[in-house]
Amino acid sequence: MSMLISQTVLETKLFLRNRVTLFWTMIFPVFFMVLFGLIYGDSKWPGMDMRSVDYLLPGIIVMGVMVTGIMHTVMGFVSEREKGVYRRLALTPLKRQTIIGGQMLHNYSIIIIQTMLLIVIGVIAFNIKITGNLFLFWLVLSVGAVSFMSIGFALTGLAKTYRSAMPINQIAYFIMMFLGGVFFPNSILPKFLGYVASVLPSTHMNDALRMVIYNGAGIGDIWQSLLIMVGWILACFAFSIKFFRWE
Amino acid sequence: MIEGLRQPDGGSIWACGYDTLKEPQRVKELIGVQLQATSIYDNIRVKEAIDLFGGYYKKSIPTGQILEEVSLTDKSTSRVSSLSGGQKQRLSVGLALVNDPEVLFLDEPTTGLDPQARHNIWSIVEKLRDRGKTIVMTTHYMEEAEHLCQRLAIIDHGKIIAMDTPENLINHAGLDTTIEFSTSPELNGVTSKIPGIKKINNGNAHRYEVKARNVSLILKDLTNLCYENNIELENISVRRATLEDVFLAMTGRKLRE
Repeated sequence: MSMLISQTVLETKLFLRNRVTLFWTMIFPVFFMVLFGLIYGDSKWPGMDMRSVDYLLPGIIVMGVMVTGIMHTVMGFVSEREKGVYRRLALTPLKRQTIIGGQMLHNYSIIIIQTMLLIVIGVIAFNIKITGNLFLFWLVLSVGAVSFMSIGFALTGLAKTYRSAMPINQIAYFIMMFLGGVFFPNSILPKFLGYVASVLPSTHMNDALRMVIYNGAGIGDIWQSLLIMVGWILACFAFSIKFFRWE
Repeated sequence: MIEGLRQPDGGSIWACGYDTLKEPQRVKELIGVQLQATSIYDNIRVKEAIDLFGGYYKKSIPTGQILEEVSLTDKSTSRVSSLSGGQKQRLSVGLALVNDPEVLFLDEPTTGLDPQARHNIWSIVEKLRDRGKTIVMTTHYMEEAEHLCQRLAIIDHGKIIAMDTPENLINHAGLDTTIEFSTSPELNGVTSKIPGIKKINNGNAHRYEVKARNVSLILKDLTNLCYENNIELENISVRRATLEDVFLAMTGRKLRE
């Protein structure tokens, strides 16, 4: 257990020393929130009664979770793997589950901080009113975080090198961002894309978050979305058993 | 395979009293490994890295002592990414020492290092060796093996083809000793009296080389010959076969990776 904590602290310490990842995980989502908040502000999407900026907040939260869960997981892991760090660690008594566990806890703590940052900005700068159940909010955030991290770890199995990791990453990230209802509702997507979107974890995390934050949704309203995210976790886990690599 | 990085096809391995296949965790506690390329987080500081690795073991040596051992004390707060090749390699050896291992594995510890950095590593290894630590080192620098190893095995295509002390390997290989010398004036017309003589330099210095096993006989003939013909003998060197000669003779090929 203490080993897991020291791995987490290590990952976090190294993270704070890397300005590039610090920018992408902490500044980038905030930047988008402020930018789009200023552009769309109080205007409304056609056919919706909420303000664009209200719609946007959960979307940007999901975007941040994806940056950390997918991008940060994949790029961090693949670059250490390529340098042979895990090969070296395999020679010590440190268990591999502890390495993964440390990275997940570290990523999870980034996600929590990121999300709080976005909520504070949303509430203070854009007068967003959050009415929902905080426990359910945390639950959706956590299940979503784990599902994107699972996708991230699964993608490390697809990327052979650091160079090939970036495009694989981007494709996954952009599909989930634009089809997942981050910036605009999925109802405006053409039928086929709408079908694709309906199975994406980002869509379900967005839906569940919005329903919890604004509609006072209970667990009965969002269980299907949670189930689909858990399904992604299991699928990625199964995929990783076969394709995950340490070297 | 002893270190647990690769799975053997068959057989069994025992290290420090444990079966490495059945109890790899116990073996890992007792061995230290330095890999060919330094592989550690870039942004970590030297001291942090040693602390970190120390934390992985049940029993570990204090970080300050390790830093001292591999002469990195004044680099303890530098990031690994800013270290030179030699310093990185020393850190790598230091990380292999954190658990005070019973057996230390060094995988080509000086490959790619400049002579000074190499001698630095050598003196660290010598110090450990003289303290009685068991060290298993792989290298393709024969002078390094000759200098550091008490017992060495030559491996060719995955098979051990010879194993002995460097001294015995050289003596038992039955290779010729090389005698080199210059003369003034030239050894004209009388070279046929020395079997196997070869002129190796046609410049102003008349330099010759003889490869033979009966060194005393050759030297006697040579000095007599020069004395009788009033020829001055200069710059004589007698060089016995090196480990490199033995290696090349045994493997019959050039040194490879």
